[in-house]
Amino acid sequence: MDASSVAEFVAVALRVSTPLTLAALGVLISTRAGVLNIGIEGMMLAGAFAGVVVSAFTGSALLGLAAAILIGAALGALLATAVHVAKADLILSGIAINIAAAAGTTLLLFLITGSKGVSSSLPSKTLPTIDIPLLGDLPLVGMAVSGHHILTYTAFLAAPLVALFLTRTPVGIRLRAVGEKPEAAAAAGVNVRRYQFWALAASGAFGGVAGAFLSMGYVSWFGQNMTAGRGFIALAAEVMGGGSALGTMLSAVVLGTAETISITMQGGGLPSELVQTVPYIVPILALLVHAMRRRRIARKSAA
Amino acid sequence: MTSNALVAFEAISKAYGNGTRALTEVSFSVARGVIHAISGENGAGKSTLMKILFGLEQPSSGRLLLDGGVAEIRSPAAAVEQGIGMVHQHFTLVPSLTVAENIFLGQEQRSGIFVDREKTSRRVAALSKRFNLAVDPDARVSTLSVAAQQKVEILKALSRDIRLLILDEPTAVLSPPETEELFTRLRHLRDAGLTILFISHKLREVRALASHVTVLRAGRVVGDAQLADLDNDALSRLVMGGATSVARPVRASRSVGAPLVALKNVSQSRGRPGERVSNLDLTIYAGEVVGVAGVDGGGQQGLVALLSGRKAAESGTIVFGGRDMKSGSTRDWRSAGLAHLPADRHKDGSAMSMSLVDNAVAGAHRKPAYRMGALLDRRKMVEATRDMISEYGVRSPGPEAPLSALSGGNAQKLIAAREFASAPSFLIADEPTRGIDIAAAAFLHERMRNMAGTGVGILLVTSDLDELLTLSDRIVVMFGGRIVARFDTIDGLTPDRLGPFMLGLEETA
Repeated sequence: MDASSVAEFVAVALRVSTPLTLAALGVLISTRAGVLNIGIEGMMLAGAFAGVVVSAFTGSALLGLAAAILIGAALGALLATAVHVAKADLILSGIAINIAAAAGTTLLLFLITGSKGVSSSLPSKTLPTIDIPLLGDLPLVGMAVSGHHILTYTAFLAAPLVALFLTRTPVGIRLRAVGEKPEAAAAAGVNVRRYQFWALAASGAFGGVAGAFLSMGYVSWFGQNMTAGRGFIALAAEVMGGGSALGTMLSAVVLGTAETISITMQGGGLPSELVQTVPYIVPILALLVHAMRRRRIARKSAA
Repeated sequence: MTSNALVAFEAISKAYGNGTRALTEVSFSVARGVIHAISGENGAGKSTLMKILFGLEQPSSGRLLLDGGVAEIRSPAAAVEQGIGMVHQHFTLVPSLTVAENIFLGQEQRSGIFVDREKTSRRVAALSKRFNLAVDPDARVSTLSVAAQQKVEILKALSRDIRLLILDEPTAVLSPPETEELFTRLRHLRDAGLTILFISHKLREVRALASHVTVLRAGRVVGDAQLADLDNDALSRLVMGGATSVARPVRASRSVGAPLVALKNVSQSRGRPGERVSNLDLTIYAGEVVGVAGVDGGGQQGLVALLSGRKAAESGTIVFGGRDMKSGSTRDWRSAGLAHLPADRHKDGSAMSMSLVDNAVAGAHRKPAYRMGALLDRRKMVEATRDMISEYGVRSPGPEAPLSALSGGNAQKLIAAREFASAPSFLIADEPTRGIDIAAAAFLHERMRNMAGTGVGILLVTSDLDELLTLSDRIVVMFGGRIVARFDTIDGLTPDRLGPFMLGLEETA
């Protein structure tokens, strides 16, 4: 592998890691508030769809992104309402959102375009890419890190911001208290339900942005079930991240890199069916290693 | 009388929707700047009254006066606004947050949108200095001992500028030396002008700390006096209702039987610190009560884990009833005749959300008596539960009610009824009466003495030294996972004599 193909590999890996990072950060916010957002996959899918449709009808990519954020947040709020008001089970409600999003986007896609597969007949917009001045002019490095989609930079900037939010702001600290020991938070006058509601809404908004990246950056169309399990891989990334925003981002990049390997290996002579399993096998292995390491740490701290 | 009172309860009653009357016309007042104890058995209404004062519940009738003016306290936040703070029996701290973050949770010191960590730490340090409660502001709560966590809870309450501090059974989680330290701190706080409401059913502690006591029984005030005006007998009569005496049961002279459980040079170096033991030599004979003393983490939990099949020994031998039990499972131990009252009866001893019946026959499911082919005979199970309820005087809404509907003492009676019903030859009683009322404790003590009288060997692990000295025939003290002292008779033994061994200051064995 020569230097330029390494640079290209890095560029692809960053691109592939973008939706995983965004979604995993969304999952992180919800888990730290004690409400695991299983519905993240559906929120991504709805965001991807809303971005394409709204940008196509308004002619504005920005409005498309706004719609993706709104639909994601709305689904997060719906999940919170289902759990808190209707007293439904959190996990089952999340799964319901995933199923409803898959079916709903397919139905609407058919009603709008007449196709059940892709939205290529819609004149949807994409969000811009950004060339980093100076750095972008460097050979190889520029190729690897410059010229990416605006949401790619957003994702990697979001991680330290989420970290700061969770550890340094009053709202973030209360949110962690709500997730870890709700009775302590309540005793301190924190409204547990309200925090969980907004945490799920924020989580959904992150999912919506992740979806918008898929349909308005990664590609420029919406395809049926185009998230293809990325929401679940994001859930795995969050677990591997050990509860921290930077750890979550790193895990998302590791899993994104695995997917990149599978993409670049296609056409390399190996059966493509086998190569395509890589992005799913890696999270399983990673979680296994993670669990083993946690057990070892637990044993060590006990010994 | 009310003129100098900080708080006055006036004819407070509380009835619940299901008709239970928790409080009936409770009236008394709390003077400023004193330590005022509220005592009574479990279910006497202490907790309900404190919940009303702290705004967690509203009275059905009657009123609450603060500084002579009528106060309506609708929520804990309102209570804090009125200067009332409470340290609950179960702490409300977030383990992964630091001490400082916990203390200022909900009232963070800010700079811009961020928490000002430096200012927070400074304020905690200042609080900690002012009230003489040493804590490390930047330590994570999960790394602190229970006693240190309690200090954080107290500081958290004090940080809200309170003038009345409610402490609900604060010593239940502390070892005797830690209790002493807490009392010293509380006296300092009182001297600084704070009024303290001390909820406890341990009369010795009430006497040691408080100047005034209000005794509740069945939701009514049955006594309200200066402690100086009450002798111990009068006090215990008030709490117990004169029904039972707390005098030591007469020690029947019994001949101790054959060796029942024998540990020889047993070690187990894995697990949490309190579960590790080394070179244990201990034989428990049929018909005797062996008391195990020690501060938390001394290795008592390790001993119990080994003798109940929760852990296997690494080295050494354990023989029970003539069988090698070095790595016996819990089922092995139980089928060989073990009964076990675990220290954490909610977690290890019962299923709180399941019915009394399910709890009463748990573990006996395999008995043919409850079987109907492959199925369980529910009717027989209910019958057996009813027998236990009446034999042990368990106050309950009925056999089908969830165990969580029972007070701590009654739940423990049911668990004891189940354990004793298996006709054991060996009983492990681990903190058998912690947190339960005096009458229930006296009842269980009598049962255990009777069991020992019929030849059952009993291992009693308890942090209540009165209980230890009341029940035990002989005592071993554990510290750092080892047996550091053995007392083959308890004649003339006092808590003061045990103290230095429990703290690891002395060693004889």
